[in-house]
Amino acid sequence: MKVPLTLGPLSAEGHTILRSGVRWLCNDGYVCRPNEVIGYCNLSLERSGSRTAGAGPFAEEMEIQVGFASRRPGRIRFAAGVALGGYLDIREAKAWDAATVIAEIETDDASAHDGVSEDVRLLMLAGRRMTALADVHSGLLPGWLGRSRAWWGSGDEVPLTLLSLGICDATSVVLGDQTAFLELFADCPHALHVVFHPDHPVAPAAPVLLDQLQRTPSQFKAIAQEVRGYMASSAASPTAEDWMFVGVLLATLGRNPLLDSYSIFTPSGLQTIPPAQAVLLSLNAEPQTLLKHRKLGYRLHVMRHHQAAAGPATRAWMAQEFEVVTLSLEDIRRDYESLIDAISSQTGAKVIVLNRMSTSGYEDISNYAPFDSPMSNTLANIGSKELNLILDEIAETRELYIVDVDTIAAALGGRNHLPDGIHQSGLMQAHLRRELLHILDGLRGMD
Amino acid sequence: MLLELRLSEIVPGMSGATIECVHAVAGSVLKPGARLLDLSIDLSSAFAQECPPISFFRVILRESAVLRRIDVVPGKYMELGEVIALFAPTSDDPVDGPADRSVRIATAGIMHHAEMWTGSHQ
Repeated sequence: MKVPLTLGPLSAEGHTILRSGVRWLCNDGYVCRPNEVIGYCNLSLERSGSRTAGAGPFAEEMEIQVGFASRRPGRIRFAAGVALGGYLDIREAKAWDAATVIAEIETDDASAHDGVSEDVRLLMLAGRRMTALADVHSGLLPGWLGRSRAWWGSGDEVPLTLLSLGICDATSVVLGDQTAFLELFADCPHALHVVFHPDHPVAPAAPVLLDQLQRTPSQFKAIAQEVRGYMASSAASPTAEDWMFVGVLLATLGRNPLLDSYSIFTPSGLQTIPPAQAVLLSLNAEPQTLLKHRKLGYRLHVMRHHQAAAGPATRAWMAQEFEVVTLSLEDIRRDYESLIDAISSQTGAKVIVLNRMSTSGYEDISNYAPFDSPMSNTLANIGSKELNLILDEIAETRELYIVDVDTIAAALGGRNHLPDGIHQSGLMQAHLRRELLHILDGLRGMD
Repeated sequence: MLLELRLSEIVPGMSGATIECVHAVAGSVLKPGARLLDLSIDLSSAFAQECPPISFFRVILRESAVLRRIDVVPGKYMELGEVIALFAPTSDDPVDGPADRSVRIATAGIMHHAEMWTGSHQ
């Protein structure tokens, strides 16, 4: 059976939706799976009718795209003239027309009707640039984004929002290989909205997130003032790297992702949806030491490989204006409990955590006597086991959901699937994704 | 009898390691369990990742020996197979000539710590 695939309805009140030509992610004749994104185009929302004051929806999000997925499996045949090439596949020049046929699918699916068109599923993508200068035209969710998000733009059900605030181990599970959420949504046909924040420049350790959640506008003003004052009087002349680093740092510290609400648009129009109902964290984000500002008291964690991006004045600022605080396992427990409690009281969101791999085939310890007590301060795998235990203990007294990386890695084989303890293979990412979606299904059922 | 410590493969795909800390001093009489050095292995070249997959390890001795020579300093990058240190049963054994065997060691995955070269110099 041959089924023409149409764009289907999409609307945003008071706006005309414009789109670019289609860029395909597969070859003509490719056999796709249901919900697999096979192509995409860029979108823009142009205000129509009378202009109102203030920023419109998506004002901050300069990257808006829509991915196309078939609802059923089959062989894709591209429609002529939908891919225009060059800037016409980048610039939004055509009005969105629900009846536009972009492809045809040859399918054996018994529920399809030959020649009767159906709408593609629309995976909506929106990205907020770290700087408006990050104007990159290539690919899905291109450029340097401080926040990216995706949701199925089909159906009127209000989606459940997952906010990802993890480090590498969460990033790959959430964003997938093309850093555009494609694998996660291919596995999830339900109403879901996923928001991703990168782990730079501020790494999302629990105490840092807690400070961010509780920070008032006047406290942020004091932080910004202190940074400006230091840079203005720094013995080390600030370089371009310094200005970029502290600019992004302030942009990040001034936001509060746990309290963000969001605009989405769907076939039935614009909606504003509340802050995330689920928050994904990485236990691997908890450091042994972090920085605490000597005067203002806020805590900051910048991972070592990201510190390399800072210029000399920023490094001097971090060395002089912050003290290094060592965190015990009990400190990490307390920070996690405080963060879970604060999130629960402010938004009611549930916290999901990726725990840590706690075994390794690369060590051959036959005698633990040479290691000082507490061994968790030295031996990475003992530290990981104790932190995993702390998570289990917290889950006994608070609503905390654990994605058991430790067990999944051990079952698949850590040597092949988690060689350094953090960066997983594709197969392991798929397992973790399924585990995460299973938890989200449970949360959805609790609504 | 001359014993040697060469950098051998700890993690598949590694091409070398960076010395992070040297705990032992040449001339020391070392017992089983003595700390020799900490090193880091960066698999960036083997795995395309958005942040460097770095692991840290401590090498400890599993037999009694005198550390006769140690040729590394923190920050030095060692290729696989390079000689790191030479050991002998006593302080009098000659250290020239080929090694009789590898010194017996254990390798443990450790946390990054403040004394490491990575972090303070990178």
